[in-house]
Amino acid sequence: MSLLQSTQFRPDPSTSTTRRALLRAWPEFQNPAAWLVALILVIMPLIANGFFLIEIFATTLILGVIALSLMFLAGYGGMVSLMQLTIAGFAGYMVAVFGVSGNANISLGWPWWLATPMALALATLFGTLGGALAVRTEGIYTIMITLAIGAAFYYFTNQNWAIFNGHTGINTVATPHFWGVDWRTDIAFYYVTLGVAAICYFAVQYVSRAPFGLALQGVRDNPRRMAALGFNPNAHRIAAYAFAAFIAALGGVLQVWNYRQISPGSVSVGACIDVLIIAVVGGITRPIGPFIGALIFVLLRTFALDVLIKLGLDGNRFRLLIGLGFLAIVFWSSDGVIGLWERWRRRNASSTQRSGGGRHG
Amino acid sequence: MDSVAHRLSAVGASAALELRGVTRLFGALAALTDVTITVRPGERRAVLGSNGAGKTTLFNCITGDFPPSSGTIRFFGEDITQFPPYERIRRGLRRTYQISALFPGLTVQDNVYLACRGVSRGRFSFLRPGQNDALMHATETLVQAVHLAGVKDRRVAELAHGQQRQLEIALALAGAPRFILFDEPAAGLSPTERRELIEILTSLPAHIGYIIIEHDMDVALRVVESVTMMHNGRIFKEGLPREIESDPEVQELYLGGGHE
Amino acid sequence: MARFIERHPAWALIVIIAVAVLAWLVFAIWPPGLEAAIGRKRVFLNAVLNGITLGGLYFLVASGFTLIFGLMRNVNLAHGSLYLFGGYIGYAISTWTGSWILGFIIAFIAVALVGVILQLAVFRRMEGQDLRQTMVTIGLSIVFADLMLWVFGGDFYQVQTPSWLIGPVQLPLLTAIKSSGEPVYLQYPLVRLVIFLASVVIGIAMWLALNRTRIGMIVRAGVDDRDILAATGVRIQLVFVLVFALGAGLAGIAGVVGGTFQSLSPGEDTRFLLASLVVVIVGGMGSIPGAALGAVIIGLAEQLGSVYIPTYAIVVTFLIMVLVLALRPQGLLARR
Repeated sequence: MSLLQSTQFRPDPSTSTTRRALLRAWPEFQNPAAWLVALILVIMPLIANGFFLIEIFATTLILGVIALSLMFLAGYGGMVSLMQLTIAGFAGYMVAVFGVSGNANISLGWPWWLATPMALALATLFGTLGGALAVRTEGIYTIMITLAIGAAFYYFTNQNWAIFNGHTGINTVATPHFWGVDWRTDIAFYYVTLGVAAICYFAVQYVSRAPFGLALQGVRDNPRRMAALGFNPNAHRIAAYAFAAFIAALGGVLQVWNYRQISPGSVSVGACIDVLIIAVVGGITRPIGPFIGALIFVLLRTFALDVLIKLGLDGNRFRLLIGLGFLAIVFWSSDGVIGLWERWRRRNASSTQRSGGGRHG
Repeated sequence: MDSVAHRLSAVGASAALELRGVTRLFGALAALTDVTITVRPGERRAVLGSNGAGKTTLFNCITGDFPPSSGTIRFFGEDITQFPPYERIRRGLRRTYQISALFPGLTVQDNVYLACRGVSRGRFSFLRPGQNDALMHATETLVQAVHLAGVKDRRVAELAHGQQRQLEIALALAGAPRFILFDEPAAGLSPTERRELIEILTSLPAHIGYIIIEHDMDVALRVVESVTMMHNGRIFKEGLPREIESDPEVQELYLGGGHE
Repeated sequence: MARFIERHPAWALIVIIAVAVLAWLVFAIWPPGLEAAIGRKRVFLNAVLNGITLGGLYFLVASGFTLIFGLMRNVNLAHGSLYLFGGYIGYAISTWTGSWILGFIIAFIAVALVGVILQLAVFRRMEGQDLRQTMVTIGLSIVFADLMLWVFGGDFYQVQTPSWLIGPVQLPLLTAIKSSGEPVYLQYPLVRLVIFLASVVIGIAMWLALNRTRIGMIVRAGVDDRDILAATGVRIQLVFVLVFALGAGLAGIAGVVGGTFQSLSPGEDTRFLLASLVVVIVGGMGSIPGAALGAVIIGLAEQLGSVYIPTYAIVVTFLIMVLVLALRPQGLLARR
């Protein structure tokens, strides 16, 4: 009897439940290691030189943001999309086309504060339309359709000269200058990427516990049941593609500012697959995974050559290393490096417990 | 002319649920043949029949999980035959599943919260619910009503079978249900849990009608006022519980027939 | 066929008109107005024949892909690598022995063996986990690509066409009538025609094997409903291995064909993987006739596109895929 009538009662929220809810919502806040990492990231320019700051850390953060968009789709929505890099690349191209670049015959010369929102909006639209196509089918088909979209875009940029300038791409893309700061100098640009990455990370973390994120996880687990609860599963899937596309587009804008040029090589099929590798190696169940994966990937890409040669091996076998590492992760961990790390910690914890118990007993 | 007729039938709707000539084919196999049923608002009815009689298919057609091959379905006068499932649910139809269909990776509270969210606005909200969110309170109340307050932060995968069945019912009670389809809610429950189930069913507000599929006659006949017997995808007999119970044909076919 | 016309009269009409227009364009002598508008008939006929023969090649690649997917739900993204591997093997054998045919045979056997090893050592261990299997195939494609780059380098290779297949052949297709009234017939490379015929023969043989033999029946039943397989008490693992071997072997043969038609180089694996994806998305996953239809459509679209709208050729292919996904997401000839 009380079932449907007492919904109006509102128990006073006590402070302890508020605190508990906060901690559950933001697990990072109670983890000292997370605070430490945040501190190190913020004071990084004091520690690292320009090469490390940009080639390693800014690049990691940018790739992490793009892989984060895949993690959001795959982890919460169960949709493995291989076109996230394509969306990022599209955003980069749009920055170059609408903004200022060395190819004056193509670029429209808009100021950055106009060209960037335009690029973000168009790339989000592109990702949403691609998503609307991909959700026409389910499950494993998603990979195929998004890969086909990515590959088609790559071949198209190669063939098209009017907008994408064929295989040479668009060079010397202008980067923002305002408040008297050149935001492409190493330290300023590092903070821009750090800021964007942090916002994206917390946005994904926040949305995952908001009604939209919860519903998306429901759609992942049991779309039919979600429909029987009043949700339109496909509408949620497409909305997830839109959200992820926006994140990927942010990464793409940063990427074109970082390299100051964009060409079909930036959106090649191999690069699309690299984003999947980054997300899977890091772990696709939590937003931190893609950033860990990106760091591993960037370190390998930068130093594998030297290390392989020092070991007396062929330095050109970097891709082989990446492929084998990826295979190993897929074979042994369903949740990437994070999963391995947690398994290792659990085993350690249980073994210390056991030995401790033994001593006491 | 047609629209006038439609409006008249909508205004004068005396039926909560009205199926006319509903047939469902799977390839050449007819799972439902020409089923016509009318259920009044607030009416509680049992659908009985041996396995394969088409009971769950009937539910699936009503909720739109798969649409009927022919025939029409009206819900409070409105023709919902072509509606996707979520549109039907938003109009006050609910169902539970024979095999619990829950979200094992989410907590009990999140499961119920989703159910409350699904039938209200803000399904796409990017804002987390605050402490004073009305739906959070509705969720709390529902969780308590099905005796799951003690495990509300547990993941559903960790719950016992009986608790999962209770959660399944909670999901169907979210929002403002007008009519509920219960698919074997008592399956696998202990005698105590069955008593609790009967209590929950009989204490539902009088305006909520339901259809219940149940093999346990003790449960089924105690919580309904009318019974429909199905056999091989067709309506076989309709009547009051005691008429059905004492009907020799029914006894032959179902109660004593050794069908399982 | 009759049922299709009955159910979708509008679509049937469109298809019939399209076929009729195509037939007219192929067989009629073009009026001067048409030649002025879209160029010479010889160019058009060449594009059509190139499209159809390319479709034959695409069919060889995609049929293995679709068969493996249909039965095992394994999206083999290393299929392009198998194609390229077959091509390199065929090149190595045919230059070493001088026998083109032997190149085909060895390529088939070698790549089929790789398929058997993959199925036994890798995919059998993760049955039913289709996402994980797909991830593994992605990893394998990277490893294979780098290994092949290591061994064969970044050069272009072309498989030598045997002397008995070199040279054009005159087809009974009129391209124009000279002012003297003398008809001009189309000249077309013999090797492409032979290979196309061979792929048609292979396609028909596969269709017959699937529809007329016991093991084919089992495979088809498995594609429709995988639970049936377990219930019939067939040695399901053996069927899986055989199908994987056949699918991989076909990709290997296709590699030799591609190496003869075009050339072999790193990156061709991705190109042919993409082609297989689009072909089976258009034709319908798991369907052999679907793969054939999709292959011809995509081959024609690519060749005609590259002749008449060169900068947007890839868009045409892509638009076909989008159109199919929008109107018939399961593919043109898929059952479901």
